[in-house]
Amino acid sequence: MTDALITAAAEVFGRSDIWLIVLAAAVYGVFVGAVPGLTATMAVALFVPMAAWLDPVAAMAAIVTMVACAIFAGDIPTTLLRIPGTPASAAYADDAYAFAQRGEADRPLGAALLCSVAGGVFGAVMLMLLGSQLARVAAVFSVAESFWLYLLGLTSAVLVSRGSTTKALLALVIGLLLSTVGLSAVHVEARFAFGRPELYQGISFIPAMIGLFGLSEVIRNLASGTASTDQPKPQAALLSGRLLTSLKNTLAAGIGQLRRRPRQTLRSGSIGVVIGMLPGAGADIAAWISMAVSKRLAGNHRTNQPASSSLDQISDATAANNAAVAGSWIPALVFGIPGDSVTAIVIGVLLMKNITPGPQVFVDQPEMVFSIYLVFLLANLMLLPVGLLAVQLGGVLLRVPRAILLPVIVLFCVTGAYALNGSLFDVGVMLAMGIVGFLLERRGVPLGPVVLGIILGGPLEERFIQSLTAGGGLIGLINRPVAAGLAAVCGLLWLTLGRSLTRRPA
Amino acid sequence: MVKSEAKPWFQQPPASSTDFGWNWRRPTGCPPQPAPSRLWRLLLCLVVLPVVVGCGSQSEFPSQPIVLICPWSPGGGTDRVSRQVASQLSQSLGVPVNVVNATGGGGVTGHTRGAVARPDGYTLTMATVELNMLHWRGLTTISPDDFEPLALCNRDAAAIFVRSDSPWQTLADLESKIAKEPGKLRASGSARGSIWHVALAGWLLEQGLPADATAWVSINGSGPSLQELLAGGVELICCSVPEARGLLTGGELRCLGVMADSRHPLAPNVPTFREAGCDWALGGWRGLMLPLGVPKERATVIREAVLETVKSDAFARFMETAGFNLTIGNPDAFEQLLTTFDTAFGEIFATAEIDAVSESPIGPYGFPFILGGIGAGLLLLLVGRGQLQLQTDAPRLTYRDLFRLLLVPVAIVFFMLTTETLGFVIAATAMLLGLLLVVRVRPLTATVVTLLLVPAVYQFFAVQLGVPLPWGILGW
Repeated sequence: MTDALITAAAEVFGRSDIWLIVLAAAVYGVFVGAVPGLTATMAVALFVPMAAWLDPVAAMAAIVTMVACAIFAGDIPTTLLRIPGTPASAAYADDAYAFAQRGEADRPLGAALLCSVAGGVFGAVMLMLLGSQLARVAAVFSVAESFWLYLLGLTSAVLVSRGSTTKALLALVIGLLLSTVGLSAVHVEARFAFGRPELYQGISFIPAMIGLFGLSEVIRNLASGTASTDQPKPQAALLSGRLLTSLKNTLAAGIGQLRRRPRQTLRSGSIGVVIGMLPGAGADIAAWISMAVSKRLAGNHRTNQPASSSLDQISDATAANNAAVAGSWIPALVFGIPGDSVTAIVIGVLLMKNITPGPQVFVDQPEMVFSIYLVFLLANLMLLPVGLLAVQLGGVLLRVPRAILLPVIVLFCVTGAYALNGSLFDVGVMLAMGIVGFLLERRGVPLGPVVLGIILGGPLEERFIQSLTAGGGLIGLINRPVAAGLAAVCGLLWLTLGRSLTRRPA
Repeated sequence: MVKSEAKPWFQQPPASSTDFGWNWRRPTGCPPQPAPSRLWRLLLCLVVLPVVVGCGSQSEFPSQPIVLICPWSPGGGTDRVSRQVASQLSQSLGVPVNVVNATGGGGVTGHTRGAVARPDGYTLTMATVELNMLHWRGLTTISPDDFEPLALCNRDAAAIFVRSDSPWQTLADLESKIAKEPGKLRASGSARGSIWHVALAGWLLEQGLPADATAWVSINGSGPSLQELLAGGVELICCSVPEARGLLTGGELRCLGVMADSRHPLAPNVPTFREAGCDWALGGWRGLMLPLGVPKERATVIREAVLETVKSDAFARFMETAGFNLTIGNPDAFEQLLTTFDTAFGEIFATAEIDAVSESPIGPYGFPFILGGIGAGLLLLLVGRGQLQLQTDAPRLTYRDLFRLLLVPVAIVFFMLTTETLGFVIAATAMLLGLLLVVRVRPLTATVVTLLLVPAVYQFFAVQLGVPLPWGILGW
């Protein structure tokens, strides 16, 4: 085992071409992640033909780096423009944007970067030390456990949103209802499709997310005129063009956040790894749940939270979503079962290189497995400098006059929505959701739960019906120990939710 | 660029319809410029644009990027085969071939888009066996008759898997268990009505058992289904051998039989169903197709390139390492296969048993109905408490605000209506330029921004990332 580790270390750290590939992949990943509508999955899928020319370690290095960087880069447009680059960023879009509106964009971005790196490194270490054991845990997750996990994620989305719980719940129900449009996987029946083939695919969450957050903000800005005072402001250092000072500020903000709360970062990392490795969950649910935990444990929930607690939640969420990336590789490597579309592609690439992921690869090619682990470390370390530069580059956006920036955002929203599936229908969805988002916000209904509702509505219903089929009735939801435990947690959370529902806010 | 001292544009005196868009936008304090110079500038940008973007010659085929529609999501088997075909095709045709994952609707979306695509030879579809099934299930009217088959490239047989700690060693063991206690065992592999579900049900029917002798748990995709098998939520899985490869070689699964004419190279010790004494074989296929009505010369160019690709050594190597069965069929053989499959599925879906299997404990409108109820309750609660008032920072909208509000929707709708005919570059230019001018950015700035940005976006998405953007009459 130590031999394999040493071989792997020499292979990963000793090769200059690996360093170059990781650097290139980091830049590519940051770009793709920062452009709304382009996803980490798409970045990896586009890379596959190139992977044919690389050896397995180099190919894995490129893929791991791309994904880790893309997940972080999603935070940049989230903070600066309120357009979540990846669904994992939607959890804290409003909180992070609020900082930019105060001219403090470098605080959430610095925290997000450092916590992403910390979460990613933590995830890599967990993968290395406990990968096989954790996979056994993942293997007890059946449809019933997944159902409760999804419900837990949805409940968290209600818990973390600011303002009235009733409104957050309403937002969630709207999202869930939207998710029922299209062909239902369990019933094989098209619902609310009115015979239109475009509607069979349902409402994709990425165009919906771009519309709800990004376009609605543009519409709001245009409606209130360019004179509105709450537009994002560039930070002082950036405004005067001092790159180094600005770099230092971002870094300091992040390091301060890490040093102040190391335990919480570890906690969020663990949540991320565990949720990431569960089938069908992943970075988005991890971010939401970690944020909810952070909020509950911090004690001061509901309105008027001070900025620092909001920053803490952003840090915890970003640590969790980057750790989840590592977690999602656990079932893929140990069982050869893809947990999400990225790992599905990874399995394909490994097979292309004559490596069959699964229990056998740990026996036959341990050095390959160790190389992948080490690549995770390298990728997350590379994220630090590249991410830091990307944050500064992104900050330039805020110096663009608002009147020019808003129409340009519209162009990116449209192109991003189209690019996802190559379909104009998605552009329409984006537009409709932009208007819906604008109307909802005017009445104080939060948007985060709508997005998570759209993402999880389909799987939630599926898992529910699957549990009923597989478990012989409603008992199928709770007749497994882990499922019963998760159900109890959900029940407790719903009790507290119910209390705040009946309480009339002042 | 917006002069704050300038009167908002909507307070300017209404312009006559002829000079709308020229005079009222000029910031106060700017010397009036002669209109022709601006017109000239606009004309210039229309001339410069094609040069910046790069204009392909239309004389020979293919001169534009080709789109390969994959009806399934990135990472799946069909996507991997599509991307391999795409990279080889682009080498032999000399133009980029971009894979578009038109997913959703259990294959309806992708196949429909492939069938109704503009028949100019620039859209190919990687069709799958669902094309034979969806129209029998009443989900779409699209059938193999809407396509011109080019080449079959893969057929993967279904196989039955159980956990290696399960008591069933052979197919006969499993069959007698199912016959003894019908409805007891739970099976999965993919969604209800999918090829693997039909394969299992067909086998049961062939054995004289009802199709619902095993309860089918509808789980999307073979990966999550295998996870469910490990977790003990189901007892058997029906899917293709390559999909279960990792767990099979790792000794976690046992394969009881393959529904093919010959044994599978990844599981050479596993008998086929025929060897086990059951005359049953079924599996999926993947193949490339063109929409009907592509001009003959173009179809020939594409067909020859596609056949050359799938018959190449590189493709054979790829299929072997990926574990996919390589079965190449010329257009005629492919056509024949499609007809055979279509008749077979017609018979299977006509049996009442399959319909009975498709029932689920909660109807399709159960979930939306419950949600609707909760939503209505919450709304009533909020309205009753008077909490749905406008936020303090969201003032009541005047008609003028409404007009400004509609700017963005109108611009986007304009883009959606024109982009398919005019192409992305022209439509996006018009949209961006229009929006910039309406929010009172100076025409020169607006033009420069548009001229720099739209080609850059096009370059980045369509050329660098290979994400096809709509091209119109001019080819970009």
